[in-house]
Amino acid sequence: MSANLKKQFFQPYTGEKARISRAYDYLILVLALFLFIGSFHLHFALTVGDWDFWIDWKDRQWWPLVTPLMGITFPAAVQMVMWEKFRLPLGATLCVAALSIGTWIARIFAYHYWNFFPINMVLPSTMLPSALVLDVILMLSNSLTVTAILGGSAFALLFYPSNWPIIGMFHEPVQYANGQLTVADLFGFQYIRTGMPEYLRIIERGTLRTYGQYATPLSAFCSALLCTLMYTLWWYIGKWFATVRYLTKI
Amino acid sequence: MATTSEQLPSLLTNDSKVPWYLEDLPKYLKGFGILTVIYISLRLYQGEFAVSTGLDSSEPAFETYWMRLFNIELVVITLFVTGMWGYLWVSRDRNLDKLAPREEIRRYFTLTMWISIYTFAVYWAGSYFAEQDNSWHQVAIRDTPFTANHIIEFYFNFPLYVILGGSAWLYARTRLPLYAKGISLPLTLAVFGPFMILVSVGFNEWGHTFWFREEFFAAPIHWGFVIGVWFALGVGGILLQGVTRLIELLDELEDNP
Amino acid sequence: MKTLFIKFMVLLSLALSLNTQTANAHGEKALEPFIRMRTIQWYDVQWSTQKFAVNEEIIVSGKFHVAEDWPVSVPKPDAAFLNISTPGPVLIRTERYLNGKPYTNSVALQPGGDYSFKIVLKGRLPGRYHIHPFFNLKDAGQVMGPGVWLEIAGNADDFRNEVKTINGEVIDMETYGLSNGIFWHIFWGALAAGWLLWWVRRPLFIARYRMLQAGLEDELVTKQDKLIGKVILIGVPLLVLGANWMTINQYPKAIPLQASLDQILPLSAQVNAGVVEVDTLKAEYRIPERAMTFLVKINNKSDKPIQIGEFATANVRFLNKAVSMPISDNTDTMIAPEGLSVDNPAPIESGEERTMTIIAKDALWESEKLDGLIRDSDSRIGGLLVFYDSSIGERFISSITAPVIPKFN
Repeated sequence: MSANLKKQFFQPYTGEKARISRAYDYLILVLALFLFIGSFHLHFALTVGDWDFWIDWKDRQWWPLVTPLMGITFPAAVQMVMWEKFRLPLGATLCVAALSIGTWIARIFAYHYWNFFPINMVLPSTMLPSALVLDVILMLSNSLTVTAILGGSAFALLFYPSNWPIIGMFHEPVQYANGQLTVADLFGFQYIRTGMPEYLRIIERGTLRTYGQYATPLSAFCSALLCTLMYTLWWYIGKWFATVRYLTKI
Repeated sequence: MATTSEQLPSLLTNDSKVPWYLEDLPKYLKGFGILTVIYISLRLYQGEFAVSTGLDSSEPAFETYWMRLFNIELVVITLFVTGMWGYLWVSRDRNLDKLAPREEIRRYFTLTMWISIYTFAVYWAGSYFAEQDNSWHQVAIRDTPFTANHIIEFYFNFPLYVILGGSAWLYARTRLPLYAKGISLPLTLAVFGPFMILVSVGFNEWGHTFWFREEFFAAPIHWGFVIGVWFALGVGGILLQGVTRLIELLDELEDNP
Repeated sequence: MKTLFIKFMVLLSLALSLNTQTANAHGEKALEPFIRMRTIQWYDVQWSTQKFAVNEEIIVSGKFHVAEDWPVSVPKPDAAFLNISTPGPVLIRTERYLNGKPYTNSVALQPGGDYSFKIVLKGRLPGRYHIHPFFNLKDAGQVMGPGVWLEIAGNADDFRNEVKTINGEVIDMETYGLSNGIFWHIFWGALAAGWLLWWVRRPLFIARYRMLQAGLEDELVTKQDKLIGKVILIGVPLLVLGANWMTINQYPKAIPLQASLDQILPLSAQVNAGVVEVDTLKAEYRIPERAMTFLVKINNKSDKPIQIGEFATANVRFLNKAVSMPISDNTDTMIAPEGLSVDNPAPIESGEERTMTIIAKDALWESEKLDGLIRDSDSRIGGLLVFYDSSIGERFISSITAPVIPKFN
């Protein structure tokens, strides 16, 4: 009843008030853009950065497991605020797009122009398809549970196939030093990194490979499960941080 | 009509294309400009001198080009924090209970600009120069906590965004009634959490000095930075505090075309 | 803005009184002396040339002994990577050999083992660079070999790095996969930008918050929005899977990243080969004189008289001038030409066992920061003691080790 009343008497802002409201939008958008490039990129680089920096880290076991898992965090938290409070289904895409901007700038101006690495050796991965799907699942379902289960799973499952068109060709085999390498491994051998000896790479550690040769789908499904949980956790982290409390002392 | 000196101030205000609620927009844009110049200049400086003088901390050239830069940074940062925080505190509004809605709206916009400048500094510290650290440490053998990138990232970029975040916090506390009456939890989280990243430098350097000299970015000694940056999500709460208060204030304003 | 940049740079430059000198080391002195002296003991390192052009190859080769007295605080070298310190890939590594075997991965080294290595490098970016071979030791750090200045001439644009895949395709590593990668990032970036713009073109925060509070949820997400959402929900996964399927078909022979640990056995003993046995009885470091004094018991089991010619540790060579020998070292290893003296210069005869005092004395102990040893928790020294037979024909090397006693006066 009261909701209907509210609806009835609702007056959208016009004139100056609408302009004030819009000006505030633009300020927030600029603020958010740099905030998410800065914060999400730092979070991402320091948790799964190595897999993203180097072409010879993008393996089929750990990369598709850990990257979506760390990649779904900020999107979930931002979605919570943007959707719950504003019905804006863009939290995931905004975060991941900001991350992409940050990584590309660093790859070009730090790795390439300062330290001479070829850009194809430091191609970033993309999570944009995953983020788009996560956003629309939230919009269409308007449900934390459905988004966590379907969206979280889709976010993880789409990651490897989204990136295989970018990195697949780097997995062509090369005969080198009486052995077999991928082109990606060869980058790691040829283009010298003093701080990244080969043994630091975390490439297919463990025995997941014993299930036939199908490491990738298993990793992706494991990641899907974990992303479901991670999504929910970070939704609540986003909610907790979006507190509007004022304290009397700190 | 002849222009008299008495009319000049009002004419200037009328001619200005910036509406009243965006009065501080020119300062905001200048802030972006100055920060951009500083950060890009520092990056160009690295490009020019890091390979030639920044690879060995025991060289005299390292002392000249990098440790001196470090000392200059400390001086600049100290002067800036004293001046900026001092100014914000000294020029605080002592009559907040009489603040008109229009002025309060304007100040909310300025606060948003302050936070935006803060997040711009977070971009350079958290994104560009942070990932560049991994790149530089592929080139240099780490032999000092003060590498050619750390001197800029840890001892200039980090304190600078902390100062700017603190400025936003102080601006709100000294000029906006709600923030003066109570201490905004989300604003405090968004400023103090990333401040802890600066503190995490200690943990990081300890780890690298004692048992980890290579550049493995996902190493646990870096996770202190990660936890600090999660607190940036407090901006969601700041947005909600801003939106709800602005709606109250706008409702108090007359409708203008 | 441009003038601002220039002003800022000029100010910064003035403040730092620019006078570029180039660094001639890579910070190796910062590593604890006991790690530098008692892990990888380099010798006979040679560079084929120090001036070459882009696309030309050079070779660095040499030998190293893995110390038996491996420091307790350093993990055993179960994973070690023979690397090159360069300011970025100004040259690329095209081949690498350990004990004559080509290898590309990390390797497990055996304490007490002897190894020879060879690395082939190819010029990529013109310039003058200081380059070292070195070992990344897992969890320990970088143990440097002797470095040199390399001058690379030519034009960076001429650099080519063509590689033949197993399928016979010749690829240029410098550009391979780059435009394809950029295409996909732009493609998904454009879709994401479209989605974001679709929403941000409307009034956002204040307007939508008010409407949501007023219960106008239906107006915030329209039927058209939902339709577009459904198209994305179906279209994006289809595109992803379609592109993935096409890539799988395009590269059916793709293999996973290779990550094995290369297993290469040490050479037959070169150092501590059992011909000349050395037992270090005592080592003292006199700080004012910068002199390390060893009391050693030497047993010459060879059939020739021998003399002590050199003590080498952490890329510093203390030479005994009484024993003349050719110095074939084109690296910038620190050499103290008269740094080594012995109390009894007479050759040690075949079959003789002699206890003698050796003094390695030079300011290099201090300038190379090796004297820091006495302030370390592990203050044992290690290094190679080199003997020559009297006719300077044959060489015998012993890896020696002892705790160091500091003498402050």
